[in-house]
Order: sequence, then structure tokens, then C-alpha cells
Amino acid sequence: METFPNSSRRLTPIVAALSITCAMPAWADDLPALGEDPSPWQVDVTYENHTVNREHAGLAKFRNTLQAEFDKKAGNGWAVHGIMRGSWDGVYRMNSDEYGKKAGGAITTQSTTPGGLVNSPWGGGPVTYSLVNGAFGLVNNAFVDSYGANNPNDGLRILGDRWHKTNGGVAFAVPVRPCDEDKRGCRDFGGYGDQKLSELESPEFNDRLDFVRELYARKTFSLGDGKDLFVKVGKQQVVWGRTDLFRVLDVINPVDFSRNNIYDELSDIRIPMWIAQVEYRMGASETMQDRNLQFVWNFDKFRPNNLGQCGSPNAILDAGCFFRGMANLWDNGGTVANFANVAPGTLLATNFGPGQIGLNEVHLPSWSLKNTQFGVKYEGVTQGGLSFSLNALTYRSQLPSLHGGKRATNSFTGEYRNAWPYLISFDMHYPRVNLLGGSMDFQVPDANAAVRVEAAFTDGEEFANTAKPELYSKNRVFRAVIGVDRPTFIPFISETSTTLISGQLFYQHIFDHEWQRGSLGPVGMPDWENNFIGTLLIKGFMKNGTVSPQIIFAHDFKARATAMAPQVEWNVTNDLKLTVGANYKLASGKDRWEFDDCRACNPFAPFTAPNGDADPMTAYSRGLNGMEPLGRFRAGPIGAAFKENDLFIKLNYKF
Amino acid sequence: MKRIAAALLPLCVAGLTGGAMAATEADVENSFNPYKAGMPSFPGLKPGTVINKGNVDQFKDALGAGVYRLIKEGLFEIKVGATTQFSVHKAYVDATRTNLNKTKLGAKAGDMISGYVAGRPFPEEPDAKDPRAGEKLAWNYKYGVNWGDGAIISPFYWKYRNMQNGKLEKQIKWDFHFLNFMHRTKDAPVPEFTPNPSGIFRAIYTKAHEPSDLKNTQLLIQRFEDDAKLDDAYLYLGFQRRVRRLAQGQVTDAFLGSDLMIEDFEGYNGRVSDMSWTYKGTKNVLLPMWNHNELKLADDMPAEADGYKYVDFAGQGDCFFQGEWQLRKVYVLEAAPVNPNHPVSKRTFYMDVQLQNLNGANEIYDRKGELWKVFMVGKAHADHHLPVNKGAGIGVDDAFSMVDLQSKHCTTGQFKGQVDPAKNPPRLFQVQNLRGGD
Repeated sequence: METFPNSSRRLTPIVAALSITCAMPAWADDLPALGEDPSPWQVDVTYENHTVNREHAGLAKFRNTLQAEFDKKAGNGWAVHGIMRGSWDGVYRMNSDEYGKKAGGAITTQSTTPGGLVNSPWGGGPVTYSLVNGAFGLVNNAFVDSYGANNPNDGLRILGDRWHKTNGGVAFAVPVRPCDEDKRGCRDFGGYGDQKLSELESPEFNDRLDFVRELYARKTFSLGDGKDLFVKVGKQQVVWGRTDLFRVLDVINPVDFSRNNIYDELSDIRIPMWIAQVEYRMGASETMQDRNLQFVWNFDKFRPNNLGQCGSPNAILDAGCFFRGMANLWDNGGTVANFANVAPGTLLATNFGPGQIGLNEVHLPSWSLKNTQFGVKYEGVTQGGLSFSLNALTYRSQLPSLHGGKRATNSFTGEYRNAWPYLISFDMHYPRVNLLGGSMDFQVPDANAAVRVEAAFTDGEEFANTAKPELYSKNRVFRAVIGVDRPTFIPFISETSTTLISGQLFYQHIFDHEWQRGSLGPVGMPDWENNFIGTLLIKGFMKNGTVSPQIIFAHDFKARATAMAPQVEWNVTNDLKLTVGANYKLASGKDRWEFDDCRACNPFAPFTAPNGDADPMTAYSRGLNGMEPLGRFRAGPIGAAFKENDLFIKLNYKF
Repeated sequence: MKRIAAALLPLCVAGLTGGAMAATEADVENSFNPYKAGMPSFPGLKPGTVINKGNVDQFKDALGAGVYRLIKEGLFEIKVGATTQFSVHKAYVDATRTNLNKTKLGAKAGDMISGYVAGRPFPEEPDAKDPRAGEKLAWNYKYGVNWGDGAIISPFYWKYRNMQNGKLEKQIKWDFHFLNFMHRTKDAPVPEFTPNPSGIFRAIYTKAHEPSDLKNTQLLIQRFEDDAKLDDAYLYLGFQRRVRRLAQGQVTDAFLGSDLMIEDFEGYNGRVSDMSWTYKGTKNVLLPMWNHNELKLADDMPAEADGYKYVDFAGQGDCFFQGEWQLRKVYVLEAAPVNPNHPVSKRTFYMDVQLQNLNGANEIYDRKGELWKVFMVGKAHADHHLPVNKGAGIGVDDAFSMVDLQSKHCTTGQFKGQVDPAKNPPRLFQVQNLRGGD
């Protein structure tokens, strides 16, 4: 039970920050003058309440955000722009059974037997130290009979229970409470994973000073002859590309999916970074109407995408839970469901001890010159009106890569080695990626439409791959999006305003994709070699634009998962806006999501070989499969959230 | 033989209209100073006259049909001022003289003109018997002084109002920039910016500052010298931080929910070839034109550091600017969209002969032919406005009312127009400029 004094103490810094931003208009005139220009500080303060109710979970967001945006034209042509943002999400206290200090509970663990699926209390085996010692005489085995007070059967959920049943697959316990309440499995995965309740409630108040959302200075230096040098330095978003929703070229800033999964505008969830950008604006030439060369140097310390801490409402792909559960397995051990294949048709829950399987180290690139990120873009408009860009970027992957086959203690023998090929003992890395791409847009007058195209080729991305001893592979990737915008008069919506119909088709191809059929099922890469995702936006404007209904459809063709997000936006006054909406998912391809889970990888040969295996001394995957852990890559962000149907209301007020 | 003669007839007509009726120095003089022989008059009308619902019928012939209806319905009243000279800048007039009769119409209506250099392409008095007289006036408008070689409106307030109850639904604070890339006569570089490989004739750049949901929204429209070429339009949405190319259809859309479509900007913001133009005659009509500094100005608007005050609004729903109307010699011009799917069936303009702008008192008819909207833009004399505008030689757009008679709604505009080349560098009109903002 949260006590008021505690709440009050934790809220103090937030209240202080909000007080500062509230006070901005009053003392804006007292802010320091910059340069010679007497233009005053321009300060806009807005408040937003975003409340979400989620099917099966109840309240999933009660976030209150106060934002102050300020601008100052300083002297000598410089301008300063900043955004301060602070929020407090009450969901962790108002629905603490689901997301807060009382989340989770005692769980059971599943075993597969010839008689069917059987559940037993988590921590109770049946495969334990004693059983293995008794059955095989392996006195040095590292399984455990039970877990101690540091790893109780409390505050837990079963991995994946937010989106699927265990159903004979791999599963293990995931601690879900904030890390000051339960520190099991807590790691800094890159801005998430180790957050306390107060940090989950108010994520901007962290050691990266995220309450300073943007702060930069910019100036255009005239070079004469119609040429300019544009400089913008500071904490900022740099947006490349021309498509909505998909991030093919728009990869300079990482994204905070913990804020509202994929359902917020990217400009609200990009994580601003300290970046210097310089544009040489060459203007027109004899053959080109516009030419620009941009250099972008992201000199900030690396940050990945925030995938959402396990136990918080928005954990995209349920990845945060997988990571936390794996980290807890490494640190404290845990029971893994349907694991030990001791007899035909029998897969028993197994009590692993610490340091045998799981996720150990997280290698977040430290700040160094070589870890900074650099991009170049040439953007132009041809004589005929084709607007295009050519882009090149060297950056760090914003998604983690798990390198397996690492150090561990053999569960059966107690032997420690620095590497066990095919063992699900992982470290987390963020590899360097090089990107080459381009984009363009043009009109198609006959269709009354504008077309946007964007494509990128990357080298260096890493993917899960059970055909490799390290359980990952580096693969080159091609991604492309084509989008068509067509304003269309739809009389029943409005006779004076067009309704925007915008369709996009995203394509991804993974080169050197590995997929083969093992003796027990498919082995290799869970990500689809070729996949398409289509989106359709229909947005109307009524009542002189004060009421705007819209619906977005997104369909993942391979995952066979669909999201629908209708909403109505109502500008009640110039300063007050209400938005009511929902997102609802459908998934018909769940049977396609299961993939090799490496239970049959046999890293501790011969003990981990499947029952009756023809080659019990060799480690490799035979392809025994389930939904966890790799099904999430096949389900995608829509499929992995298909049980998270939300209704929301949002209120924005500008002071 | 008869067939040949029939085929030759249009060519002969084109030759006659395009070249045979050559304009003279006197035409130029009359075009830029139509009041040389004296100011126009109308029975019973004099400076100080107030025209309202009660007496509007007496002045019906001196009013545009749309304005007449607005007054007749009691939505507002107008105060008459003296007719004054709105002299066009000497550089533009000189360019007209220098290039007199160089401009030729295309072979058929909608074709690009040829030979145009600068100034007013067709300064001669339109002839009702000339089937292409309307088209000539349309070219005069396209290459007219409008905002001169370039200008900025900063700030520019738009208000969306419910005309029935006066409720202010939305207020947008903008900057609008206009720049002629070609056929420049006054500000350096004359006659054009080079290089300009796409042949951009003119560009409009806008940026919204308020309200918060539109903050940093920017629009760039590039119109080309080649009238057959579609405009390029780009929209930067502040909340998306991305530049979107606009499909052409969006120029006939209610722009950001207002009562204006992009095509309405400045009276008509489209290609000459998008419309079929008809000259309907010459008459004296009241247009909103005034000396800004002599008006009773609004006291409910944000203060400007230089003390500038905006034109006030009153009337039904506060939809109508409070400026004087003066009797002007106008050409009545009709434009019917070539595209049958256009939401407008016809526009009627009362083109001020001296300025040859199109935005004094326009009527916009819906597809059924019913009067849909009345668009009125009040012009201030440049010498009686901001000091920077003195001698600009244009009519400074000062306030607008776009009244939707069908939905009983209006959008109003209050300008702070500044003819200041320094505030209008060409780089503002490049797509990349949109991306470099906040």
C-alpha cells in the first residue's frame, strides 16, 4: 500500500519542475537576454492528460504531461529553441495490481506429459538437483531444488502471458514489479529495464535529463550568390525520409516505444539527441532547382530505442519481459516450463540455477569518438520537380542483438566454460550499422495524388538465428516504402474539405536469410525473409476543421495481424482539444508465429539431446518450437500486442 | 473550300485579338490612371454615405452581387469613402510601356502567352467583342503588381467564426511571404533570380505560429512560368516534422478547415489555364480600399512592438472588416473551372482597373450555381500604412472577410503587410527551408 508521505516525497522533483514550467509565462520577461535583438522569449505551455483503458488489464495510462516550448531570436541571426517536458503517469498507483507494486503474483509452471499439459508451482521442478542427482548420479549438477528468499514465487508473471498461452512451449517467470520493489532481472538495457516506480511514473527525470526534451541553437550564414550555410546544434530530432509510421531512413534518433507503443506521433516519441547538423544550401543550379548537402553528427552518448520495461503498460514485442526474465534466469535461476525432454512426449519443467542460462551482460556503447554516429544527405529538387534525397548513415543499431553461446556453468556437470555453442546464455550488444538509402516524392496529376518513396540498404544489423552457434547472424537488409496520398471529396464526411486517403506499403528483405527444416521443425531465422506491411489512413475534416475523424489500418501480411485505430479529434477551442479513440487488433496467423526455441539445441551434450536423438553428442538445433521466445519476431509489434486493445481519451490544453 | 475557311476563322480571330488591336501609350495611361478625367460617381453616393439594409437597393448597381446580398440580409453595412489614386509603382508602369504589344496570346484559350517580358501584358481596354478579353485580364492579374516583387505579411491573423453567434472557433497566427522570381521590375535582382531551371515564376511561403496544434506548419507553393505546369506545393506539418508534397487536389480543399481554399488566396491562386475567363463588362463598383492610418483600428488585438494596429471587425458575427469602400472603375470578370469536378462552378471578380487585382469583392458559386461564398479583401494605400510601405506602389492587402453564406460561417484575416525585400530572401522559398525549422 502506497503511503501519502512516500508519494509526496517522490513527486517533489516533478512538482518543482512543473512549477517552473507553469511559471514560465509569468517570468518569461526575466529570462536572460541573448544577443542584441530585443525580441522577447516566446513561451507556450501545454498540459495533456492521456488516459487509456485496456481490455483485460483495466487502466493502462493516466499520464499527465506538462510541456513548455520556448523560442528566442537571439542576436546576430541566432535563434534558440527548447522544449521542456515532464510527465507523471498515475497508472502505477491507480492500477498497481497490474502495473505497480502489487503486480504479478505466484505462478505455476507447465510440463508436457503423455497425459497432457500439467501445471505445478513455479520453483517446484519437477526436474531439480535432487532428481538429476538421483536419476543420473550427477552429483555436481547445478540444478536447484528450490529458490530462496531472493527469488520467491511472488511478483511474477509467465513470459508471454500478455499475448499467448504457454501451450507446451518454453516459458519462464518474469518479475514485473518496479525495480525498487523487486530488483530481480533489472538491468539497464539502455534507458529502461532498471527503473524504479518514480522513474516509471516520471520517465523524463533521469540521468539523461530527458525533461530537457529539445534545446538547440540555429543560424543561417549567408555565403553569397544564393548559397547559405545552415547550422543547428543541440539536443534535437533530425528527421530523414518521407514516409509515415515506418522508419526506413528516419533512424537518426531512437524512439521511445514505452510512451504509447507505435501509436503516438513519431515526433512525440523520438528521443532527441545532442546533434550538430550543418547544411550547405546551394540553391539552384542550371539543372537543379534546389541542392542541399547535410552533415549530421550525433555526438551524444548512445541510446537505443526504449522498448518498455517489463511490468509497464507498453512493452513493445513484450521484449522487455523477455529480457528481464532472461536476466533473472542468469542472476537467480528459475524454472523453465516444458524443457527437459526425458521421454517421448514428455517435456518437464526444469529448475535451472543461476549462471547457466539467461542474459548476463549488456554492452551499451560508452561515449567515445568512435561510438558517435554520422550521416550525410544530399537533398534536391530536379528541374522537373522530382524531390529526392540520397542518404548515408553510420550508426549504432537501436535494437538490441542477443549474442548466445556465451559463458555458463553446465547444468548437468557443473563445469564452467567461457563459451557453450548453441547455449541460450546471452549478452546484449548494439552493433554498428551502415545505411545507404534514398527517397523521393512526386505528383501524379492524373490520379490527383502525391507519391512518396523511400528505400534503404543496411549492413551490420543482427538477427536471431538458431542455425548459428552464437544464435545470431549479421545480415544485410533492404527496406522500402511506397506511399500514396490522395485528397478525396467524400460528401458524407464533408463537401468542402477533402478527406485524406493515404496508403503505404512497406517491404523488408533480409539477405542471406537462413531457414531450414530440422528434425523437429524449422531452424534458423525467425524474422521473415520477405515481408510486407500495409497501412491505410483515412482522415476527414468536419466543422471547419475543428472535428477530425480518422482511422488507421495496419496489416502485417506475414504475421497475419491487423491493427485498427479509429479516433476523433475535437478542437473545442483554440486552446482545448479532446481526442477519443481506440486501437483494436486482430490476428489470424498465430499458428505461424511459433519458431525454434532452442530447447533441442543440445548445448550440454549429451544431456540436453532430445529423447532418442540420433546424434546426441553434437550441439545444434533440431527445431523444437514454441511461441517463446522467438515468436515475437514473427508476430511483430501488432501481433505481439493483439490482446492489448485500448480505448483512450486525450485532453490537450494550452495555457 | 468552305471547310478551309471555317478552319481559318479561329486563326484569324486569334490574330485579330492577339495582334491586330495593338495597345497604345494612351491605353497604358488609361490603364494605370483610369481617373485621369475625373473620379467616378453614382447617384446619391458620396463620401460618408452609409449603405445598409435600409438603403442598399438604391446602390445595388454600385455593388457586387455578393456584397449586395450581404448588406441586403443585414449582415453588415459599409461606409463610403472618397475615391483615391492607388498609383502603381513607376518601375512596373515603365516596364509596361517598354514592352508594349510584345505579349501575344497562345493559339487557343489556355495556351501559354509568348513574348511577355515585364509589366502589364495587356494594358488596353478590354473589348466586349473580343472573346479572349477575359483571358487577357487573367494574364494581367497573373503578372500584376499584387504584392509587388515580394512582400511579407507578418503577422497575419486568421479567425474562424460562427457567423450566427460570433463564436470565435479558431485563431491562426501566420507569416506569409510572396516572392516573384521572374519579371521583376523594382527590387533587385531585376528582371529575375537566376539560375531558375524549373522556371518558377512566383512562390508563396507561409508559416503558422499559433495555435499549438498548427505551430510550425509551413506551406510552400511554387507557381511556374509555364502555365501548363502544375504548381508544386509542399506542406511541413509541425506535429510530424516532415515535409509532405501536396497532391494538386488539395488546392481546392478547405485550407486547414478555414473557409478559404488555397485557390482563393489573393483572390485567385491558380493557373490561368485552369479557368475559362469571360469579360462581362466595365462599371463603377464599390470596393474596400482605404488609408489604413485613418481608420478606427482594432483595440482587441495583440500589441505590436512598433505600435501597428490591425483593422477592426464588426457586423454579423464580427465577420466584416471596418474600412471604407470607394467607388472604383472595375472590370467584371467571370472564371469557370475547366475541371468539371471542381467544387466551384464560377467565380465572379470585380477587378480594380488601376491595380488589376482580383480580390476586392469576389463571388464564389457552388457546383449547383448557388452563391456559396463572398470574399472581400480590403486594400490600404501603401503611403498610408507602415512607413516601410511608403512608395511601394501597390495596394496593401489589409483585411479580409471570407463569408460562407451557406454554412453561415466566416474566416477573417488581419494583415500586417510589409513590402520589405530584406525580409524575403529567396532561400525561404526552397523546400529545404521547411525542413530546417523547429
